[in-house]
Amino acid sequence: MAIRRKRSFSDLIDEYFKDLEEWTQEFGEPFAERPSWNLKNRSIEPLRETTINPTEVLITLDLPFTDKSTVKVKPVGKSTLEISAKMNRVIKSDDLGVTHWRGEFQKYHSHMRIPVQVNMDKMKVHYKKGLLEIHLPRKH
Amino acid sequence: MIEEVKIVERNKVPSGATLIFGFPDVGLVGVIAASHLIDELNLSEVAYVDSELLPPLIVLHEGLPHSSIRILGDDKLVLAISEAPIPADVVYPVMNALIEWARSKNVKMMISLGGIPMQDRQDATELKAFAAASTPEALKIAQDKNVETLTEGYMIGPQAIMLQRAANAGTPALALLAQCFPNYPDPEAAAEVLKGLEKITGLKVNVAKLLEKGEEIRLRARDVMKRTQEEMSKTKKGQELDIPIYVS
Repeated sequence: MAIRRKRSFSDLIDEYFKDLEEWTQEFGEPFAERPSWNLKNRSIEPLRETTINPTEVLITLDLPFTDKSTVKVKPVGKSTLEISAKMNRVIKSDDLGVTHWRGEFQKYHSHMRIPVQVNMDKMKVHYKKGLLEIHLPRKH
Repeated sequence: MIEEVKIVERNKVPSGATLIFGFPDVGLVGVIAASHLIDELNLSEVAYVDSELLPPLIVLHEGLPHSSIRILGDDKLVLAISEAPIPADVVYPVMNALIEWARSKNVKMMISLGGIPMQDRQDATELKAFAAASTPEALKIAQDKNVETLTEGYMIGPQAIMLQRAANAGTPALALLAQCFPNYPDPEAAAEVLKGLEKITGLKVNVAKLLEKGEEIRLRARDVMKRTQEEMSKTKKGQELDIPIYVS
């Protein structure tokens, strides 16, 4: 018989917020606004833009303080991308002019759903001056 | 009738100054450029906008409350800046009040700093600034200084209302717009628009520091950019990319 580890209340709360975060990232902003950063993961959600063209989906992300070598674009299934990039310096809350909480950020993280069918195998990625471009040919 | 939008003066406002606007819009070009001007010229707050039409929002600086729309200045120049996007349905009353106030201060010229969305901006090695004006005379000032004219097209947002109201009153006004990323903060475009401002007004501003701090500005301006995108979508800002119908 499999032994199920008893989960603490805080584990359940963490799990709830993780599910909520994934849900909101996938479907928009259903309940409440959330910050564009996550202190626990030391990550910042980058600004991004998706353009659906007749032949391809173009996604761009603004990733200041990053180097090309640390950028990772990982397809998750047929319609989701997970993008991360390490910053080339640690950004402290003070650097952002925040004084009422303390923390630091070391990476960008973005989890996004592609709104139309695409061919993930033919994905092309370009990076220039901190701007990431992802080209995904559409499936017809 | 109660005034919907009040301009409250904190300090003496010079008469006959140039009024510059830096409001959140594409690439946050105007706000970034205006913030740099405030730092470089050491401008201090002279007035602010007070209105219950605005969201219940204040900006805290050193623990003290400030209106999100403030006017800073010195003896020759006044500058209106907004640290939060102006809600689409409030743009008219806010701009009307600011322009009325500017006329009461005998402002000699109004210049709105901003951006113009550019396709494939990431591949551009050189950016251009364009000008549109409220009067033929104001347009000639920009043309004489070799600033290209934004000849045809649509303009949406605070700068559009500024040009229209200034044209109605016969007041000289310019919208100075640099090519930019529409949805990402663009310090390089802000530097370009400040170079255009220097050509037109002779106001020398060192943009080297602005360019050096480019990545930091892009990171810090992220949240304001995101809120601005939301507000711009309400005003159908994308219409600025439309090809205009030809009406002579």
